[in-house]
Amino acid sequence: MKLLRWLVIAGYLFVATLPLVWMGLSSIKQRDATISANARFVPSLSAPVGEDSARFEATLDPYRQLAHVHAGARQSFWGHLKSSVTIGFLSTAAAVVLGSACAYGFSRFRLAGKQDWLFFILSTRFMPPLAVVVPVLIMYRRMDLQGTHLGLALLYTVFNLSMAVWLMKGFLDEIPRAFEEAAMVDGYSRAQAFVRVVLPEAATGMAVTAVFCLISAWNEYGFAMTLNSSGAVTVPAYFAGLQGNIEGMPWPQIAAGALVFVAPIVAFTVLVRKNLLRGMTFGTIKQ
Amino acid sequence: MQGARRTARPGRQRLGWWLVAPTLVLLVGFNVFPLLYNVVLSFTNAELTGGERRSLGGANYGRVFRDPVFAGALRRTALFVASVVSAELILGLVLALALVKRFPGKHVVLTLLLIPMMLSPAVMGLFWGLILNGNYGILNQALGAAGLSQPQWLTDRDLKFWSIVLIDVWMWTPFMMLIALAGLGAIPPSIYEAAQIDRAGPWRVFWRITLPMTAPVLGLAVLFRATDALKQFDLVMATTGPNDASTQTLSTLLYQVVFRDGKVGLGSAFACTVLVVVMALATVFTRYIDRMQKTEAAA
Repeated sequence: MKLLRWLVIAGYLFVATLPLVWMGLSSIKQRDATISANARFVPSLSAPVGEDSARFEATLDPYRQLAHVHAGARQSFWGHLKSSVTIGFLSTAAAVVLGSACAYGFSRFRLAGKQDWLFFILSTRFMPPLAVVVPVLIMYRRMDLQGTHLGLALLYTVFNLSMAVWLMKGFLDEIPRAFEEAAMVDGYSRAQAFVRVVLPEAATGMAVTAVFCLISAWNEYGFAMTLNSSGAVTVPAYFAGLQGNIEGMPWPQIAAGALVFVAPIVAFTVLVRKNLLRGMTFGTIKQ
Repeated sequence: MQGARRTARPGRQRLGWWLVAPTLVLLVGFNVFPLLYNVVLSFTNAELTGGERRSLGGANYGRVFRDPVFAGALRRTALFVASVVSAELILGLVLALALVKRFPGKHVVLTLLLIPMMLSPAVMGLFWGLILNGNYGILNQALGAAGLSQPQWLTDRDLKFWSIVLIDVWMWTPFMMLIALAGLGAIPPSIYEAAQIDRAGPWRVFWRITLPMTAPVLGLAVLFRATDALKQFDLVMATTGPNDASTQTLSTLLYQVVFRDGKVGLGSAFACTVLVVVMALATVFTRYIDRMQKTEAAA
């Protein structure tokens, strides 16, 4: 039994991490070595001798070539990364502020139809992006928002609101009302009580919510490719656009770029690891 | 007590409505309005390039229900949802059972296992294309070294659908594992101790105690994954593209119809039909969460 347990764990650990390990190895190869008919997985400092060697010459060229503009693209990887960062941060900030305000409203006030509103908010998360993209596209064309950072950030804000509201509602419900009430008895206004008492208590929850909003905006692809194929192209849409590239897939650069792109996500995952379950289930499971 | 009286004072709720209003307005503007607009478009011959719009009556819906391509995409998506959800559930549960006991380095192992679900499906799907490549992919090279056959994972007509299932299972098994772990952790040890006194075998304990007691959270996990898998778009786009007869899902077909063929009217009719399915599932989901929260509050 014990051996079986270890086999399961070790085996799955291998499977789970292999694509990222391979990504790391591919990012320090020349293109020929990434598509060689025999696997080359041992980096070395000199060029390998035989054709069937498992070794390859390690190089940092792919990272340097991230500044290269590939056929069919208008910007280098770094330009697209900048779009991803701008859109990600704008939408995260907006979603956390609006979502926290909304969650506070539902948490502390007796609003008519509260439960129905909350479930309406949750249900927007089920919408397949492709099912609403056409009306949004028509709207955006009229308002000149197609292919802009603002347009996509706005859309991501809206699509992250359901998560932000539900997560923040869970965190705010855990802060005892008595704290604010005591502050208000002491003569604070509700706004003062909110800023001095609730905000410090809710800071962790807001940080966790922000991380999940950022990750979902960072990884989004459906809206990015349909609305922003002409400008403010984010990294996932940029990489996907390299398919069918006449120069052939630039695998080392894709691996290097993808690694740079996923590194912050891995870091954030480690940071919020205690709240992963909560974040992924919109706060419906709190552990 | 004073605080309670404050909240009850008439007019106090106005601030509450001001706080929730921006979110509700945005959600209505970007969800309800597009849905209604979709319905309007679905009765017209609207094209992506613009031009004059004419009413077609229910002709688009007639096409949706008759066209075998739509029926095929619906069937394929259902198969996809059923396959990935059941594979992820079983694998996730097995992993959770293996990981539930404490061991040194558990947190590191757990975090490493959880990383795939946080990554971009579009980017990882593209990179899986390199791993699964029939000629120079690492998987086939490993299979070759082991003396096994080397299938064309992403170009073989009968296989590529299952390759996408495989990538999805890689991405989302950690999610099931995480939820299953939470469920297992919530079972009070005293129940296991009682089973031990009764000399119940491990199988019996699993079927009679472990599974029934984790079922509610596993149900939630299944609903989360099912609603997500129903939208499957990124992985298909990254591996085979939107117009592949053996991998086309509802979302990629919708993309093909609207953005490649430019048929907005037809696409909208199609989207409205799909949304009925999505809403049905969403209703099941929200009811489930509602019930779970009520039992939790009662406990």
